[in-house]
Amino acid sequence: MDSEVFEAREPALLDGLRKAWAIAGKDMRIYYLQPAVLIFGLVFPIAIFFAFMIGRDVQTASLFPGLIALTLFFSTTTVAPFSVPWERMNRTFERLLFAPVSLPMAVLGKVISAFLFGLAVSLVPLVLGLLFFGSHIQDYGALVLGIILGNLCLANMGMLISTVRADTPPKVMMVLNVVRLPLMFMSGIFLAIPTLPYWGRVIAWFSPVSYATDLLYKGLGFQDYFGIVISVLMLLAFTVVMYVASVLRMRTWNR
Amino acid sequence: MMEGSGAAVTANGLTKYYDSLLAVDHITFEIAHGEIFGFLGPNGAGKTSTIRMLMNLIRPSEGSAAILGMDTVRDSLAVKAQVGIVPEVSNIFPELSTLNNLTFTGALYGMGRRNRMARASELIDLFDLAEHQHRKAVELSMGLRRRLAIAMSIMHRPRIIFLDEPTSGLDVSSARAIRDTVRELNGEGVTFFLTTHNMDEANQLCRRIAVINRGRLIAVDTPERLKQAAAESQVVEAVFDRELEPAEVEELSGLEGCSQLLPEAGKYRMRTSDPARILQGLYPFMHRSGIKPVSINTLGPSLEDVFIRLTEGGKEAAGDG
Ligand SMILES: Nc1ncnc2c1ncn2[C@@H]1O[C@H](COP(=O)(O)OP(=O)(O)OP(=O)(O)O)[C@@H](O)[C@H]1O
Ligand SMILES: [Mg+2]
Repeated sequence: MDSEVFEAREPALLDGLRKAWAIAGKDMRIYYLQPAVLIFGLVFPIAIFFAFMIGRDVQTASLFPGLIALTLFFSTTTVAPFSVPWERMNRTFERLLFAPVSLPMAVLGKVISAFLFGLAVSLVPLVLGLLFFGSHIQDYGALVLGIILGNLCLANMGMLISTVRADTPPKVMMVLNVVRLPLMFMSGIFLAIPTLPYWGRVIAWFSPVSYATDLLYKGLGFQDYFGIVISVLMLLAFTVVMYVASVLRMRTWNR
Repeated sequence: MMEGSGAAVTANGLTKYYDSLLAVDHITFEIAHGEIFGFLGPNGAGKTSTIRMLMNLIRPSEGSAAILGMDTVRDSLAVKAQVGIVPEVSNIFPELSTLNNLTFTGALYGMGRRNRMARASELIDLFDLAEHQHRKAVELSMGLRRRLAIAMSIMHRPRIIFLDEPTSGLDVSSARAIRDTVRELNGEGVTFFLTTHNMDEANQLCRRIAVINRGRLIAVDTPERLKQAAAESQVVEAVFDRELEPAEVEELSGLEGCSQLLPEAGKYRMRTSDPARILQGLYPFMHRSGIKPVSINTLGPSLEDVFIRLTEGGKEAAGDG
């Protein structure tokens, strides 16, 4: 009896993951090259970063953890807030629910596409830093965890933001930026967290971006603040909470 | 497996409130396997809401429903695997090509790559979409989009299909092609639940018709029996070689057997339960007044008459209450 239940559950999960992957593939095909996604996800963070950093008297290599964190943050959180309201407006999101796809798997599919977008985009400044600007990897583990878990966590943050009560993509984009801009300053992107004043360090605890940034500093050989274990646990916790919250929010849409 | 016993669809006191608005009011019905069931009602009657509850896209406020013996809420995923839907408002992916819309749909139903490619090209042939298969859906005409939507709804070979106003807004030949498709699939054993405003369509396609008004089911029967119930609304329609004088109109409406005269754009329509009696009086009338007939037709009760009678009755009842 127990083994029967177990056997029945295993393929159902696999089946769900396959469908989530199909949704992610469809999103990649449709949304990655949308101008709005490229502008808010790629051009925006780079422009902001240089606007803040130009003329400051710091070593170039020390800028890169922050730059990578900012690109990762902006690119990953852009995809879902663009695609979800767009698909609600077209009613194509509902088409996913015509099929035997559970809401958690539909959400996972969208998270995966955002994750992969952020991953690809955040590798660009990393590679540039390594090749041309004297960055070097000190702690591979921290770097990989920072990039992977940071992207995953922020993909879920984008997902959660995309569930706000707003009916068009531009409105959701506005909400997204209202959330993102303060977080940008709370998260050790322009100044590493250990160098922040006391209150800055306190506030940093509340931003999931801080933990990704901190891991990136550590990975590229700079002083970190939280330590790997805390950063990893906090990123995981934020990921789970935001994922569950996204699913619950979406459940209320069609009541 | 459950073919012999039980119904394809059962609704049991299904009810939907949107806040305080009662959109669907305790409706109960059964659809047999292999049936084409029509759901007929004016705008806002609750047709779409009913379909959405049956598909578990919205939760019923009260009541329950079963499809192929499975509860639509508890076994939602298992139900969806057996059901196809063509919604009222097109929701194919505008950025994807015809072909990719089909294959992506297949993936959502868990079909393997080879399987979904084969099925997609089969449907592209069947629905005559070959020359449009690489065009983005956003570029397709409304008729093509509807065809694609129907093709997508049967990608996974469902046993039950919900069609929400499948032919509204289509030209005559596209609409007929869709009705032919419905008949063909029905011939293969697929059960249909179809909403429409088009009486003719319901009459042609459906074995049974449910009339819904203001959320309430007011009749469920075969088209023939519904029409019998409206036998008194047969019509004799006469067109004369000249406009009638008011006194003549008066006389015409007084003909024996005429319960109501409806003059309309040069046509005089006399409502009756016995067309023969009207005809008997009509010829002497024309003779007396020196009028010649251009045409005289008797029209049997149409489903439209039934529909108007039933739904207007609903309005009156609601107005009284
Ligand atoms: N999401 C919603 N929120 C609030 N009210 C709704 C919602 N959907 C439908 N309604 C209301 O519920 C009632 C029934 O709507 P429904 O769409 O089910 O009717 P319908 O029979 O499909 O009409 P139509 O023929 O125009 O498609 C209407 O009064 C409509 O305004
Ligand atoms: Mg409707």
